[in-house]
Amino acid sequence: MGLNMIVAVKWVPNTQIVNIDPTTGTLIREGIPSIVNPHDLNAVELALRLKEKYGGTVTAISMAPPAARAGLEFIMGMGVDRAILITDKVFAGADTLATSYTLAKAIEKLKPYDLLIFGHETIDSSTAHIGAQVASWLKIPYIYYVIDTEYRDGYIFAKRRLEKKIEIYKLPIPCLIAVAMRSNEPRPIKLEYKLRVKLENPLEVWTNNELQLSRACIGLRGSPTRVEKAVPTPTIPRKKMKYEGQDVKEAVKWLVDKLLEEGLKII
Amino acid sequence: MSTSTEFCLEWEPINKDEWRGVWVFTEIFDNEISEASLQLLNPGRMIADKIGTELVSIMIGDKVQKHLLEPIYYGADKVIYVEDERLAVYTPEVYGETLLALIRKYKPEIVLAAGTLRGREMIPYVANSLRAGITADCTDFDVDVKTRDLIMIRPPFGATLLAYIRAPERRPQMSTVRPNVFKLPKRDESRKGEIIREYVDIPKPRIELVHSEYIKTEEIPIEKAEIIVSGGRGLGSAEGFKLLEKLANLIEGVVAGSRKAVDAGWIPHERQVGQTGKSVKASLYIAVGISGAAQHLFGIREAVTVVAINIDPDAPIFENADYGIVGDYKVIIPALIEEIERRKNVKKTDNKQSLQR
Ligand SMILES: Cc1cc2nc3c(=O)[nH]c(=O)nc-3n(C[C@H](O)[C@H](O)[C@H](O)COP(=O)(O)OP(=O)(O)OC[C@H]3O[C@@H](n4cnc5c(N)ncnc54)[C@H](O)[C@@H]3O)c2cc1C
Ligand SMILES: Nc1ncnc2c1ncn2[C@@H]1O[C@H](COP(=O)(O)O)[C@@H](O)[C@H]1O
Repeated sequence: MGLNMIVAVKWVPNTQIVNIDPTTGTLIREGIPSIVNPHDLNAVELALRLKEKYGGTVTAISMAPPAARAGLEFIMGMGVDRAILITDKVFAGADTLATSYTLAKAIEKLKPYDLLIFGHETIDSSTAHIGAQVASWLKIPYIYYVIDTEYRDGYIFAKRRLEKKIEIYKLPIPCLIAVAMRSNEPRPIKLEYKLRVKLENPLEVWTNNELQLSRACIGLRGSPTRVEKAVPTPTIPRKKMKYEGQDVKEAVKWLVDKLLEEGLKII
Repeated sequence: MSTSTEFCLEWEPINKDEWRGVWVFTEIFDNEISEASLQLLNPGRMIADKIGTELVSIMIGDKVQKHLLEPIYYGADKVIYVEDERLAVYTPEVYGETLLALIRKYKPEIVLAAGTLRGREMIPYVANSLRAGITADCTDFDVDVKTRDLIMIRPPFGATLLAYIRAPERRPQMSTVRPNVFKLPKRDESRKGEIIREYVDIPKPRIELVHSEYIKTEEIPIEKAEIIVSGGRGLGSAEGFKLLEKLANLIEGVVAGSRKAVDAGWIPHERQVGQTGKSVKASLYIAVGISGAAQHLFGIREAVTVVAINIDPDAPIFENADYGIVGDYKVIIPALIEEIERRKNVKKTDNKQSLQR
């Protein structure tokens, strides 16, 4: 029978190289390439491993501007069967409530599904909200921080790691899991899979024509939170004293003296 | 075509004036109060005072009675708790529904919870059921006294920016708060407060905890450490961390690392400092071979004294440190170890001499 899985992936600006305009304090977005949220690749990898073990299908969904096609093509290159890009101007400006609502409604159209797999969090907004919120809309059980999963007799056994504990939860399908970051090594893409995208065109685009969601529930209007402003993170003022000499022995003496002056008990 | 109703029918209409009070979710797991959730009483008190309302601590679990006074000592006016053996096993849904039932009954205008692993897991579920505006991992708050809107301040985009967010139309306003950015309020055992036991419907769990084991670690977690020696990609290898460990042992500190060091597999993720790792509040933080990226610096905002050791005189870490030495750590750290050992010996002989005298 296998598992019908849906993986949620986000298309994000590569925040590793985002810069702030020092005069206006705004984000310089021009020329910043977007990528698939790195932590979502762990979710895709887990789905593909489960498919190899138990059979079934993997569908990737993403709500994003049209450019995210490239991201979904990348995911298809890893071997997912089908990809759906949810894109429409009316979805723009959504906070996590409106995003999770839109994703949940799209997922409902993909019924029957057994397992929804989400990433740990995104590198641009880092809220880790969406998984729990989608589970709430769909009224299905969920668990976070999953590092490995087994499937037996209609149940998902999700192993997860907390600070000081390893836990295994047993969840009935359908259910949702969010995968811990770095929990596996995402596979590289294969050319033959990428070619499939060109030949069979398994990448679908859904707009609100397909979903028919009320404008009041989506995009900016469907979002209870408002970003008022964004300012560069103020730095913490520090003493900025640097040892100005070449002699290593003197340098460490200087440092130890300074630390003792600060009242630190290092000796 | 999509319909365009004025109001989202998925949202329960609310009357904002019915919602009053500031709540903090005081997390008890494994029979301990999480320190991160006591830290919340600090911003919670500030907000409650500004809008002239009460600060309430919420506790749920199977054994919470012995903890009931703690939040009061740390600044809460009131504690509302649910104690029930059905709460012995945590699942995000069962805990979430219990908290939800309390929120629906009392209608607080603000609900804060610590951004611990479990807090980040269950709180968005609670917010979603209420269609409440929620923000994650806030590092600061303000409040608009006129509208009673909470200004929730958090760092998206890899900690380079701070966003100011509010949820003007919905109540409660919900937030998870990053651990270790607020100091614990002063503990005062003479403080008094009201304690209320509540009984609410607790749903049957749909998921089951089938296995749970502790991971043995002797090391002090970095968020609790007073002295931290932290290594970055500049160490070049896992070997480098051995050297840092030697230094750390000598000054009774622990070892941590940057994300690059974690990515390289030199140190586990629990010991990562920074936005996607932990915030630390050490009195001494020694950054070795760490360049000082915004996301890393974000994790040491509460560190008292910061030392940088880096081979590159222009590394940004020097601008964000109190004391810096430019040089190869392979030379500096052994010299530093030697110097500290020498002084320790001097101190020992001094002590001996003063005893003999
Ligand atoms: C969304 C997001 C979240 C992030 N979260 C975190 C986070 O939580 N924590 C974090 O740390 N980073 C985080 N990062 C990554 C961060 O941007 C930096 O890439 C990272 O902190 C750099 O690590 P590093 O300083 O060890 O390495 P590098 O930047 O490569 O710096 C290495 C330093 O070592 C010095 N060096 C080299 N050789 C020697 C030597 N022999 N002796 C002394 N010094 C030497 C070099 O001069 C250099 O300054 C995040 C990034 C993003 C986009
Ligand atoms: N726009 C989106 N489209 C598809 N999946 C998303 C989207 N936003 C978030 N997700 C999923 O939800 C997870 C948590 O995201 P976040 O709450 O933004 O940190 C991500 O790792 C993705 O799996």
